Amino acid sequence: MPEGSASLQLAVGDRVVYPNQGVCRVSAIEVKEVAGQKLTFVTMHREEDGAKVMVPQTKVISIGVRKVAGPEDVKQVFEFLRSDSDKADLDWKMRARTNQDRMAQGGLIGMAEVVKGLQVLSELRPLPTKERELYDNARHLLVSEIAAALNTSDCNAEDAIDLVLFPPGRERPKRTAAEFAPRPGEGDEDLGLDADLLGLDGELDLPPDEEEAPAEEEESSEEAGEEDEEAEEKPRKKAAAMPAEGGAEGAPKKRGRPPKPKPEGAEAAAPKKRGRPPKPKPEGAEAAAPKKRGRPPKPKPEGAEAAAPKKRGRPPKAKPAETEAEDQDADLDDDIEADE
Amino acid sequence: MIRVVTLDSFDEKQIAKLCQTLYTAFGVGSEHSGQKEVPADLSDPLDAEKLLTEMKGIRAYEDDKVLFITSRKLKERELAGGKAPTPGFAQYNKSRAIISTHGFKDLETSFKPVARNALQQIGHLWGLHHCLDPRCSMYPPWTPSFSSGEPTFCTFCRDKSEQKLRLAKS
Repeated sequence: MPEGSASLQLAVGDRVVYPNQGVCRVSAIEVKEVAGQKLTFVTMHREEDGAKVMVPQTKVISIGVRKVAGPEDVKQVFEFLRSDSDKADLDWKMRARTNQDRMAQGGLIGMAEVVKGLQVLSELRPLPTKERELYDNARHLLVSEIAAALNTSDCNAEDAIDLVLFPPGRERPKRTAAEFAPRPGEGDEDLGLDADLLGLDGELDLPPDEEEAPAEEEESSEEAGEEDEEAEEKPRKKAAAMPAEGGAEGAPKKRGRPPKPKPEGAEAAAPKKRGRPPKPKPEGAEAAAPKKRGRPPKPKPEGAEAAAPKKRGRPPKAKPAETEAEDQDADLDDDIEADE
Repeated sequence: MIRVVTLDSFDEKQIAKLCQTLYTAFGVGSEHSGQKEVPADLSDPLDAEKLLTEMKGIRAYEDDKVLFITSRKLKERELAGGKAPTPGFAQYNKSRAIISTHGFKDLETSFKPVARNALQQIGHLWGLHHCLDPRCSMYPPWTPSFSSGEPTFCTFCRDKSEQKLRLAKS
């Protein structure tokens, strides 16, 4: 749920923010009959161009409509923009998904995160068109809301933001890809990828204490069942976004049922592999050659081993019966020579 | 139509050259609409925001953009992000903007930075925000590289301004 919208009491004249649309003013709250049902609609007008939006009152919160941020929120935004902590995600898919989520939620901090993230990324390389548009939209929404919150003009609000993002008298720094590389401990472990997903077998040469970890994780996740999988998706994403603090104490707490205590002597057991177990091999089949792929060769007729390989090209024209026997003899001679 | 209104005396040739640059950048007619006096109650440094609202007697149609040029200093603004240097100011998405040539010797020697500033303020009037590209005129004006660039737009800003112009009422 978007920030600050747990309980929203709207009245005519209130200024609200509609996600992805901008600052609107509530112009009416009226009951209308739609398809035989009486619904209460909140009518809003976008301040930028006067576009009219009507939302059923029951949907206002789920859409993400919220009141315009206050000066305290704006202060937080400026603190965030000033901070040098934000690093852009180099994975474009992840970045696009995160940014779309932030825009759909419509939070003020979320929009500032989009602006800051893309601005930092542009210091590494020019933004592609779609992201440039996204940057412009986010900036536009951020500027209009800050202007509404501080009761100032859009130009002043934009300059206030850019004084922080582009400090006077300084050029923007050039960044390198190395600055965006994940630090040790922020890699794939945090994304919740286990060895199977990475295409690794359990036969890696790892120290014994590290070998234990994936096996436990698998067991616990399998036992938790499918129901928990959906519920776990979001916390996993959050966990992936959080920087790893290192060590077992800093690791995020696992959900689901705790793993069963293992019987003694099972410690040395190989980690459980996923998928169908291999069929038991018949005794004596160990030395059998590995099965070849493709169509099995046709059984050759006996005595055909010495037969000449089939010639390519058009078959020779049928000749008169008199010369057939002579030609066959000549062909055979040629073939024997070729084989030799 | 872009109407250039001077608040002090400038070289006519340079003003014509500026109008030509604006026409090239936006593809909209641009002309010098004469000289006006600054309201008497405004003193140096000029409060740009107040000046734009108080200027009377400017004849323009609804979609026209009016650019005032002065050689006097504009007052720096105290904003939430700090003190903003103010070489120009625009009423975002509206019709009036102002630029100052204060700090430059004359319009002839410092034509590029002045023209770039003019492009930026009129860009704001068309709804353009600051740009990430240092070569674009919409790049923040207080950065060191701003005054050395050409008075042109980047592809994104040019496309956006053209789109806004197409959507204009007249």
